[in-house]
Amino acid sequence: MTRNVGIVGGGHTRWGSREATFKDLVQEAGKATFDDVSGVNPADVEGLFVGAVQPERFAFQTHVAPMVAELLGVEADSMIARTELACASGQAALRYAWLAIAAGEIDTALVLGVEKMNLPDDHMPEAQASMTNVMDREFDGVNGLNAPPYFAMVAQRHMHEYGTTREQLAQVSAKNKSHAAHNEFAQFQEEVSVDDVLDSFPLSPPLCLFDCSGITDGAAGLILVSEEKARQLTDEATWITGSGQACFASNSVNNLPSMSGWPQATRAAEQAYEQAGIDDPVRDLDVAEVHDCFSISEIVEYEALGWVEQGDGGQFVEDGRSELDGDIAVNPRGGLLGCGHPLGATGVSQALEIHDQFRGEVPAERRVPDPETGLIHNLSGSASVHSVMTMARGRP
Amino acid sequence: MSDDRDTVTLPDTIELPRLLDFYELQTAEHTGIHEFYENLRAGRLTTTQCTDCGETQFPPRVVCPDCHGDDLEYVDLPHDGELFAFSTVRAGPPMGMEDEVPFVVGIVEVGDVRLSTRIDGAQYEDLAIGDPVRLKVVEIDGPADHERVFFRFEPR
Repeated sequence: MTRNVGIVGGGHTRWGSREATFKDLVQEAGKATFDDVSGVNPADVEGLFVGAVQPERFAFQTHVAPMVAELLGVEADSMIARTELACASGQAALRYAWLAIAAGEIDTALVLGVEKMNLPDDHMPEAQASMTNVMDREFDGVNGLNAPPYFAMVAQRHMHEYGTTREQLAQVSAKNKSHAAHNEFAQFQEEVSVDDVLDSFPLSPPLCLFDCSGITDGAAGLILVSEEKARQLTDEATWITGSGQACFASNSVNNLPSMSGWPQATRAAEQAYEQAGIDDPVRDLDVAEVHDCFSISEIVEYEALGWVEQGDGGQFVEDGRSELDGDIAVNPRGGLLGCGHPLGATGVSQALEIHDQFRGEVPAERRVPDPETGLIHNLSGSASVHSVMTMARGRP
Repeated sequence: MSDDRDTVTLPDTIELPRLLDFYELQTAEHTGIHEFYENLRAGRLTTTQCTDCGETQFPPRVVCPDCHGDDLEYVDLPHDGELFAFSTVRAGPPMGMEDEVPFVVGIVEVGDVRLSTRIDGAQYEDLAIGDPVRLKVVEIDGPADHERVFFRFEPR
């Protein structure tokens, strides 16, 4: 890339089942973002990238990027678009903002991810239908194959092929949810034990309710700037050191490369690691926010991101290597399992967590000791696409 | 301003529109893979094979994703398969499937094809990876002006 790009701040709404509209969430996150970054005002934004998956279905609204601009007083005079990549829409927005700044098209971008998912109680089947249509609706969604049974089958195959245990899945959920207990914006803020996970409702076995992320309303924003601009604003930024994505011409079940491994994540990570100069990710990464939409996902990701051999992911969590003081602190924010998963906002929030960890601006209970490097990962849909971004703390 | 306000009346319910119905419209008027559905109506599970490069697709296509040839022919898939993976939905069903909960959904291998499908006639607890299953064709009673069908599997 021709220019360095830094994150200089951002903000969140409270996440959960919110008494708020899509537009309310946008305004809350936008205010929190600009409040966090002194020296950048809405008038300074040249590019606006909005991560949102299904406002058409969840909020009956299309063309949301100009709505965000209007709600926040942003005159995006160079680039404006919404990105849709299902559960990775937030990281997609971040990636495009990074590319636009790195390429020299703009100096300042606002990335805002938002999803309003909760509908009044008796209309939740509509929200679930929208989630199911993330799969190939005609041949996969039609079977009622929404996310819990899909990832349950990933877990079933991983347990069948590699001997991963039910307890190891629960260890992921207990770890991440217990981090979220100390996160003031998280949807689920209660300490959870391994037994709590195992005793929760067997929603789509082998997965229980606490193996699943939530249906969440929420938004998050980030300000990205060029290195030149960063120098005027701050003496410390979070640098994007690498970014990769991969999809192997596959989306529906028959065409996926595997049901128990995600080689697309390996390809995406290799791209990011190479750009960042990361030779040994376990040695070189301090903190990671990975896409734990379900407990099994995090275990497969340990493997696919190149931290352990295929099949050894369960042992990685069992050995405590993903704890705050482990080899790589994984999901100190609380993950999707603890924070909830407002689809378009998740990737944005993960990047903001890395930034906050670098600045030490998180409660002591979930603070990673002196992190210098970080990673965010998102999968989308049937895990057919994987997106990976690496970051480093540093001076402009 | 008058005290007599006009009323805008909205319907309490809206008939399920076709685009919110999971099942595709299946005739030649609506889809390029109507032959797949015609074969299924006749009790045959088929898919497309490219006459140029020989690749078999599933789902059926109108253009071969491998070579972009558009001369595809329909070939039969086996009606007996093997259960590769399965789970069940006990809560949070999509719209239109509320009355079917709990239902079993799985991945079945038929020949070289691995497809997702509903598994009828069994509870989650009854099943194991590798179980033999067979095709069944179901009729779809819903908002369309033609008879629709879809495939499911059941233990054999």
